[in-house]
Amino acid sequence: MNTSARILVLIPCYNEQDNIVRVVEHLRETCPWADYLVINDCSTDNSAELLRSHGYNYLDLPVNLGIGGGVQCGYQYSRLHGYDVTVQMDGDGQHDPAYLATVVEPVLSGKLDMCIGSRFITHEGFQTSFMRRVGIRFLSAMIHLLCGRKVADVTSGFRATSAEMTSFFADHYAPDYPEPEAILAASLQGFRVGEAPVVMHERLGGVSSISAVKSVYYMLKVSLSLIIDRLAIRRLRPGAKH
Amino acid sequence: MTLQFQACMLVGALALLAIIFIFLKKGLMTVKYSLLWLGLSIVLVIFAAFPYVVYVLRDLLDVEMPVNLVFLLMFCFVLVVLLSLSIAISQLAEKCRRLTQANAILEKRVRDLENRMQSK
Repeated sequence: MNTSARILVLIPCYNEQDNIVRVVEHLRETCPWADYLVINDCSTDNSAELLRSHGYNYLDLPVNLGIGGGVQCGYQYSRLHGYDVTVQMDGDGQHDPAYLATVVEPVLSGKLDMCIGSRFITHEGFQTSFMRRVGIRFLSAMIHLLCGRKVADVTSGFRATSAEMTSFFADHYAPDYPEPEAILAASLQGFRVGEAPVVMHERLGGVSSISAVKSVYYMLKVSLSLIIDRLAIRRLRPGAKH
Repeated sequence: MTLQFQACMLVGALALLAIIFIFLKKGLMTVKYSLLWLGLSIVLVIFAAFPYVVYVLRDLLDVEMPVNLVFLLMFCFVLVVLLSLSIAISQLAEKCRRLTQANAILEKRVRDLENRMQSK
């Protein structure tokens, strides 16, 4: 890994007291060349106290903003401190820091503005449930239809962004369920979006933020948002990044 | 419209007008958000005091009962107020999000500074 580049790993954390210490320690062991920033989204459990007592680098949101608002805050922090590459990595242990370099490399070498860690390229590791795969397939097709970009793992929260992309997300990022929307928004703005194969694990402990009941709401909300985004965003920089 | 209904409407509209002014005076509502409500209550007062206006409108729109026209207009008005409230809430949520983020980043700066001062 090119150690001269400054890389920041954002770890959104909402009620992850069972996982967060393990995730941060694992990241620090595996990738000592990367800085990290835990974003505590006003957790109601012991997460904040754990972060403080371990002396970790963290942001403490005074009110709960949801994953989008929290990650956006991380992008703002990254822009403020001038990082070259910003990586988003879940705080529940699904994303293996061993693949951090794989995700960062295409962005660092200037091939992509946003590189998404995808579990659907090599089909190894945790592949999530059948129904979720159907949903992801649907959103993927929708994004392909709306902007012509083919991305398989549209809901993956394991993604690296260039400084320019980070700056865009610091200003424009969907407040909730932002992952698929971010791909469309970035593509429509002319940023180059691509994927790199990673292996994901099942979450270590705790519960996922998206329950079965919320799934229907998730699909409706994201689908509508994608259509609205397509209607609202003009291609501001046509061909500039292709 | 019967005389009783007219009287009720007049009393109701005047009460609404009074309530809005009390809210404004006590600072519970800003003038910006009171304008739509003031408009609604003034229109209602006009309808109640001069039913002739309603009859003319009824003939123009060819509605069977003048009362229905009053209800329809009130319903439309309430819809507009609700829509404007949704817009206001969305804008407030956006501002609240920006503030929270700015606050979190600031809090981190202060925390880092304090730690550095302590370690010196």
